[in-house]
Amino acid sequence: MSRDFRIRQIWTIARLELRRVFFSRRSFWVYGLALFPAVIFTIAAIAMTYESRTNNSAGAISPALLDSVREGERVEAVIERLGKPIRDVERTRRLREDDDKEETEVVSRWLRYWDGRRTANLHFRDGILETKWVRQIVSLERQRDAYNGMFHYYYLKLAIFFGCLGIFMNLFRGEMLDKTLHFWLLAPARRDVLLGGKYLAGLLAATIIFGAGAALTYVAMLWPVDASEARVFLAGPALTQILRYSASAILACLGYGGVFLAAGLLVRNPIIPAVVLLAWESINGFLPAVLQKISVLYYVQSLCPMPPPIDSGAPLLIRLFLAPAAPAPWPVALIGVCALTAVVLYFAAQAVKRLEINYAND
Amino acid sequence: MSAPEIIFDEVSKFYGEVLGVNRVSLRIPPGITSLVGPNGSGKTTLMNLMTGLVHPDRGRISVRGLSPRDPERLMRITGYATQYDAAPRGATGFEFVSTSLLLWGYSSTDARKLAWAALERVGLTEAASRKVAAYSKGMRQRVRLAQAIAHDPDVLVLDEPLNGLDPVVRAETIAMFRDCAARGRHVLLSSHVLQEVDVISDQVILIANGMIIAEGRIRNVRDEIEEHPSQFLIRCSGAPRVASLLFERDHISEVKVVDDRNGLLVMTRDRNQFASALNDIALAGHTIESVVPADENVDALYEYLIGGQR
Repeated sequence: MSRDFRIRQIWTIARLELRRVFFSRRSFWVYGLALFPAVIFTIAAIAMTYESRTNNSAGAISPALLDSVREGERVEAVIERLGKPIRDVERTRRLREDDDKEETEVVSRWLRYWDGRRTANLHFRDGILETKWVRQIVSLERQRDAYNGMFHYYYLKLAIFFGCLGIFMNLFRGEMLDKTLHFWLLAPARRDVLLGGKYLAGLLAATIIFGAGAALTYVAMLWPVDASEARVFLAGPALTQILRYSASAILACLGYGGVFLAAGLLVRNPIIPAVVLLAWESINGFLPAVLQKISVLYYVQSLCPMPPPIDSGAPLLIRLFLAPAAPAPWPVALIGVCALTAVVLYFAAQAVKRLEINYAND
Repeated sequence: MSAPEIIFDEVSKFYGEVLGVNRVSLRIPPGITSLVGPNGSGKTTLMNLMTGLVHPDRGRISVRGLSPRDPERLMRITGYATQYDAAPRGATGFEFVSTSLLLWGYSSTDARKLAWAALERVGLTEAASRKVAAYSKGMRQRVRLAQAIAHDPDVLVLDEPLNGLDPVVRAETIAMFRDCAARGRHVLLSSHVLQEVDVISDQVILIANGMIIAEGRIRNVRDEIEEHPSQFLIRCSGAPRVASLLFERDHISEVKVVDDRNGLLVMTRDRNQFASALNDIALAGHTIESVVPADENVDALYEYLIGGQR
């Protein structure tokens, strides 16, 4: 048989398998994983848009007036200068500062002003401004940080990881459980060709599902941002960012897909390899540089446009767990994942050659 | 050039500690060959071994010169209708047959044509657009058969292929097997319906406990079982008198007069001497209307060879 024929067979197998991967009942939760952040970002965008509209209808003041408010000012002076607030809440509480003292009455008053982009929440205690908290409802920078955090901590470490587990483990193991694997083994195709076709189907499906999920989340992230600001961003660094996030998502599918496909052929219980790999990826930051490179996450994080955000206030142990290794240059990252995938697929090919149909034991 | 054969050479297969088949050596020529044996005797294991669905722990298998470890070439000439009842989820009968043909390298157009032709041969064209999951057991049997024959293979392996088929389709299917065999192809099937095997097979392989206990043409297999007397049914007039004459011969071990008293069921340890004795009786003036073997069928062979294991 010619090489061209085998390549055509791989494509035919992938085409036939794709429908099963996309519409298998076992894969439906993968859609949930992929689309969850898009849903959250969309809800947040709707909330932000709603809040902006509500504030606008209540009336906006100039940014200069908003900035002019200083702590220690009296409430009457602020209202006289800034006008009627968009929200005004007053509450009286009784407080006892020491056990032996009498209770005193404290009047708290919260005013909210809006300058078209920012809200200022002013807290007055007994008529004196105690705290001023200014928040920009929609900030491109904050949205980007949120997306970056979501991509590193949710998409790469959880969604793509478990999504690939679901998709690639099922390629052989699922058919064994459905008692339909023999149809493939009775086709006039080499076992490694069959493996290639199924892997390609899984990779295409994972890439499409998670690529679409990441793209939708990106759109939802930009939705509430001011149109002119978004246009400038899209004309500037956005495209490169999207490409780098996409590349790292595809590489993650490539790497995790290979690992889980091999695991599905080598072990019966998918939980074991999933836990082992998850633990390995989690402690990766602690390992020596050489060992860090035997990890999918190391390479795919290197391709991301921004490193994972780490809250400086987080406990040291958490920060150590979350700390990424020094990133690899992108060609090294690309070659690294491909090499890692080639190695695991080689072992998978050996396993699939030994594969037998014995449904009674599966 | 000798006819292509299916060869099992000292093949053993164990599932963990459970025996599948043990030291099986066979040479199966083209034609219709039936694997007969009780449940769990190793029939399906033999079929799975020769199609590469399981691999032998010992020994060598060759299917018309091809190894089961080379599915790329083997499955091009082989069609296997397995006993596994599951079908790919959501596939219609037509899709089930046609999509598999795409893997043979047929174009979509050719795959569709071949699939229709195969479905027509098993009488499933009307149900072709329905989902396989909604088929009856017999229809699922037929659609698996259609898939196995769709690419016109040289080796047809069929696990219990006649189960659940109605009489008309059954007759057509048997005719199809015969047609394949007449064209020098291998048709290897397993069956529990012994009378059917008897009628359609060129040869049988009797298997029990993972071991081959007899193989060959049914008549030849019967001849090899010397420890069991041969049985003949004689239709004659004056049956009691003929019975007494036969009893005088040493090789006759048992004679029974049949219920209508116009026949005898005779057991002999020597077929040649029995023929000679019958000749003598006829010359003595007794009318012998017919003599037919009563145990040259798979049922009897099964009983002799496997006995209480059934």
